[in-house]
Amino acid sequence: MRFWLLILCCFSLCAAEPEYNWNLPKGFPKPKVPPDNPMTAAKVELGRYLFYDTRLSINGQSSCATCHKQELAFTDGKPVGVGTTGEKHSRGAMSLVNVAYSEVLTWSNPGLKTLEEQALTPMFGEHPVELGLKRDGGVEKMLKSDAPYQAMFANTFPGEADPFTITNVTRAIASFERSIISGHSPYDRYHYYREDDAVSESAKRGEIVYFSTNVHCFRCHGGFNFSGGGEDGAFHNTGLYNPYPEPNVGIFEYTKRPEDRGKFKAPTLRNIAVTAPYMHDGSIETLDKVLDHYAAGGRAKDNPQKDPLIGGFELTADERHDLIEFLRSLTDEAVLHDPRFSNPW
Amino acid sequence: MLRSFAILLFFVTLAAGQTLTISGDVATPLTLKAEDLASMPRQTVTIPDADGTKVEYEGVELREILKRAGAETGQKLRGKALSTYVLAKAKDGYEVVFTLGEIDQSFGNASILVADKRDGKPLFGYQGPLRLVCPNDKAGARSVRMLETLEVVRLQK
Repeated sequence: MRFWLLILCCFSLCAAEPEYNWNLPKGFPKPKVPPDNPMTAAKVELGRYLFYDTRLSINGQSSCATCHKQELAFTDGKPVGVGTTGEKHSRGAMSLVNVAYSEVLTWSNPGLKTLEEQALTPMFGEHPVELGLKRDGGVEKMLKSDAPYQAMFANTFPGEADPFTITNVTRAIASFERSIISGHSPYDRYHYYREDDAVSESAKRGEIVYFSTNVHCFRCHGGFNFSGGGEDGAFHNTGLYNPYPEPNVGIFEYTKRPEDRGKFKAPTLRNIAVTAPYMHDGSIETLDKVLDHYAAGGRAKDNPQKDPLIGGFELTADERHDLIEFLRSLTDEAVLHDPRFSNPW
Repeated sequence: MLRSFAILLFFVTLAAGQTLTISGDVATPLTLKAEDLASMPRQTVTIPDADGTKVEYEGVELREILKRAGAETGQKLRGKALSTYVLAKAKDGYEVVFTLGEIDQSFGNASILVADKRDGKPLFGYQGPLRLVCPNDKAGARSVRMLETLEVVRLQK
């Protein structure tokens, strides 16, 4: 009996998927992953195929990548997203770069915490229609009939009698999204790898402005990912509107607390130079105008729910130039062109 | 060679006018240059970075600098002297407070470092050339970057 147990253990060890190699840049912690969806190389690769597959839309016109283009740091360059049937979303497509580190997802849903769950909204959501899929078995049928998917699903989910499930689709897409790590920008090379010439002198001065008490961008866009931290610190009313027009009322939509009106997520500023237009509704076209907004203390500065951090500041022309140069130094050209994240079809 | 150049660059940076000033209610106000700090007793503190790797900061203990400026320590830190605090000021105007009591070995014994090196290299950018490192603090907000001034204030004369 013990002999067979030993054999079984050896077999299990041999068959176990090797630990996923995140290949993390310096200064980056290991991302949290849901226990029921551990990262594997096979799952990430399957997720990449699914992410770029236009058959995962009702009319074969769109995929996840339609709104999340690699060369734009997985945004789409539009003020708001446009679904496969032409229906407009009320908010812009958020970057997926370093999304593995986001404790809460999307612009304004504090309860949405896993990419697996989030993927269901663009796939099946009807208000608005994004990919427009139906829960009628059509997706599963397509996957089962496709030779490359037959091999990849069997390899990714070994031992499952029927691996062609929506749950597995979302697990694979989420794993691919978590694999998109950006940490080789000029800023990273300057700071973590000590390449003193990786950024300009202007960007170095801009970094000091960024972290200064006067401008304090880092209070909302902080840490190694230059983003809002945690469930409590992620959302802010920046005084864009007074009042914020429906349906973009921020996390109030879910919490129903009056003080949460207009609170939206502070996104990562990594690759921010390639993700215009800005804010949740794409209502500010350029980084320069974003600085105008914050320097003025918000364009609707009398909004009673405005975050006290949005108090306005003064910048000289040189400081403004330096700050934008610093923001530009956060662009990681590698992640914008890395073949591991590109269209495999 | 590169290390020597980096150290030289640090001294040049501090020598270019960036000094640490200790002022206020102290017997001997000081203006410390890089070479002054280099000649004082050096300490290291190792703390975890965001990715879990260990980061080593090197510099001079805050209490050693205050002692050199004549702030009350040890047996002399009693009575009204315990109403003394240290205002640490950064280049950008950021300010935080420590009390002499929390720093002194007889009381709080918090080992706070005035660091000038990280992993053996001079601090740079928005961190340097000097910063505080407070390993006992759970949050990092008192680890003042771009430290320029330590002002000692005694509330009860």
